[in-house]
Amino acid sequence: MIVMAKSNIKNDIRLEQYKNMLNVINRHNHIQEEVSNTLKATRMRSIINSYRLVEAYKADSKVAYVGEQFPTEIVYAFNMQAWNIESMAILFAQSVNIEDFFQLSEENFLSRDICSFLRAPFATMHANCYPRPNIVLSNDQPCDCLAKLGYIASQLYNSPYFSLNTPNEINGESINYLVAQINKMILKIEKELSCSFDENNFKKIVEYSNEAKEYYCKTTEILKKSYVPRVSRELLEIFGLNAFGLKETVSLCKVLYEEALEISQKQNTKKKRVLWMGQAPEGFHEIIKYLERELDIIFSAILWDGTLMSLDIENPIHSIAKRAILFHWHSDRMKENTAMVCDEFGIEAIIIANVWGCRNMLGIRSVIKEVAEEKNLKYLTINLDVMDRNNYAFNQVKNRLDAFLEII
Amino acid sequence: MRDILESIVNMNEDRINSLKRINKPRMGWISIYTPEEILYAAGITTFRITGERGINTTDANALLSNNYCSYVLSCLSEGIDGVYDFAEGVIFVDACDMRKRLYEAWTRNLKLNYSFFIELPRDINKLSREYYKLQLHNLRKSLETHFDLKISEENLSDAIKTFNKSRKLLQQMYELRKSDFPLISGNDAINIVKASTCGLREEFNEKMDILLKKIEDAQIRTGKLKKHRVMMCGSYFDNSDIIDVIEKTGAILVCEDISNGIKYFEGQINENNEPIDAIADYYLDKATCARMLDINKRFEHLYKLIQEYNVDSVIYFSLKFCDTNLMDYPIIRKKLNEKGIPVLFIEGEQHMTNIESIKTRIQTFLETRMY
Repeated sequence: MIVMAKSNIKNDIRLEQYKNMLNVINRHNHIQEEVSNTLKATRMRSIINSYRLVEAYKADSKVAYVGEQFPTEIVYAFNMQAWNIESMAILFAQSVNIEDFFQLSEENFLSRDICSFLRAPFATMHANCYPRPNIVLSNDQPCDCLAKLGYIASQLYNSPYFSLNTPNEINGESINYLVAQINKMILKIEKELSCSFDENNFKKIVEYSNEAKEYYCKTTEILKKSYVPRVSRELLEIFGLNAFGLKETVSLCKVLYEEALEISQKQNTKKKRVLWMGQAPEGFHEIIKYLERELDIIFSAILWDGTLMSLDIENPIHSIAKRAILFHWHSDRMKENTAMVCDEFGIEAIIIANVWGCRNMLGIRSVIKEVAEEKNLKYLTINLDVMDRNNYAFNQVKNRLDAFLEII
Repeated sequence: MRDILESIVNMNEDRINSLKRINKPRMGWISIYTPEEILYAAGITTFRITGERGINTTDANALLSNNYCSYVLSCLSEGIDGVYDFAEGVIFVDACDMRKRLYEAWTRNLKLNYSFFIELPRDINKLSREYYKLQLHNLRKSLETHFDLKISEENLSDAIKTFNKSRKLLQQMYELRKSDFPLISGNDAINIVKASTCGLREEFNEKMDILLKKIEDAQIRTGKLKKHRVMMCGSYFDNSDIIDVIEKTGAILVCEDISNGIKYFEGQINENNEPIDAIADYYLDKATCARMLDINKRFEHLYKLIQEYNVDSVIYFSLKFCDTNLMDYPIIRKKLNEKGIPVLFIEGEQHMTNIESIKTRIQTFLETRMY
């Protein structure tokens, strides 16, 4: 049973938090990936993740909590560890009995109606399993409540806090507004952490970010033409890692590209290709394993405009701002992007995954249906919760998947 | 006094018929961060979309989801059912993720002659103020183009004065609720605030003037038994059955820190500043709703009201799936507890389907507190 931290989290030491984290992972670590069946890039990512995780728990590390799609290049320019509060909870969820965490979030009065991607990190913080942040940097992507969670984290740890407010519409005014906020955030970090923003380091990080992105994009190009098992999944994991700007990510993306190229040249089989819209469960989740026996799943997030965008080396902050707005879920832009992906990637059907509590996906799914109808594609809507099993039963989803598989 | 009070309450109940009779462009709004003054200055009648008539939300569920805030679904249902077909359009504000999706669903699926989406910052600082002002200037330009008119500074100043007057009148009415023996009940108060949003601005101001004069002239109500004083806070709320439940226990609802309570009319726009700047400052300065990030600021505001209204118990009402209010609750609850203020959390729908269980919980909570 996971218990609420008894000590004062605000002053707790990282070593204690590291022990707490190991404790919950070790006690429940029953899931083992089939190593022989994984890509080299996947194993490499796992090592990078482990390294980043351990580094963040070191007493003298500077840790910045960040949200999804946060411009981590800024964080790396300060030589800080970017701790993605949502992704890290998902990582833990693969190893621990997450139900204990959800119980803890309820004991702390957070409603079960909130998305489990938010409840899990909320509880992980209350169980004192995250490394104490030196600063909390949040944005509002993909949702309001992730920014709220950042604020709550700053209160819990008594850490400085800065939030980026990303406009929905993309135009000169909105980009300039975000540029001004990013510049202000840099000043805030400098002031709060008594360090200075190293322009040269930032330039190098932007170059790494672009280099990694170049391999990332080239890998997606391979996917356009070929069925390459597990590569779409790995691209999604790298997207979730959100570590563009690290030298290790360049190597990771390069290895994946080379591996994808090699596999594509040997691969003769072809499967029906479906586009997965919405939050995706981990690669060894029963739904994914079940579908992958018959289908080639392309995860939509790997092909968003923001995901594929490189930064302008001459004006990086401006392009970071533009990218942030492109990441915002916007029905017109998402419709256009989905239509383009369907055409270019030979999509034959769409799976819309409504994750319990994700209001944005629930609200935008009708636009995806429009695309499917316009392109005469079959689509399936499934309701699931990839973390909280109280909100999902595989057998129910399986019935729908079976019917869908028969139709397509 | 009752006659004029009922006349104001009826303004709300008859709002659709009254709006249909108005021979001017009419524009609906959904968030209290809509700068009504700019629309009014353009000769537009503004009214709140309340969702009251959107009881069957089946079609709205199909466009959004049944796991959605019932206020948002009810508003969209009203749109789908053509309740506001007389209106020229709707002003949307990025007041939460679901209202953003409401804007998209409404404008994509329903025909509107005019719509405008205002990007609302989540925190208040110099940059966000400038950006919000920019949004308001864009709205002004957009209205001028659409209606082929000019919104003068004088128009804006006059609109500010008219709305400030409504605010002042509502504030005076709420001031009376600070008394140990208030003449205005919880249901009356909420209905009066709703009446102020039904588009008949001048008529509302005139009637409120009369009501307040009548209250002033009425004998001061006294008694020996001081009632237990309750405050509501949280999501959009207008359910009279719940207020009845509260007041039938012998308690009295004295204040509502919600969007159709104090949050709608608190403060005043500075009439001496440049109008658009003053409007923007007003809306952002009063920003203490769950949409904003600063939960501490929200709590400080809430606690100030608790002290001013001498509140004994708080009921935190969250619409089911109202994520921002649900996220704030753990912190608000903790802070209220630290101050020794009991709070009851109620999660419900706009058109209450679970009233019986809510009734039991409220009765148990208040009876435990009172006796």
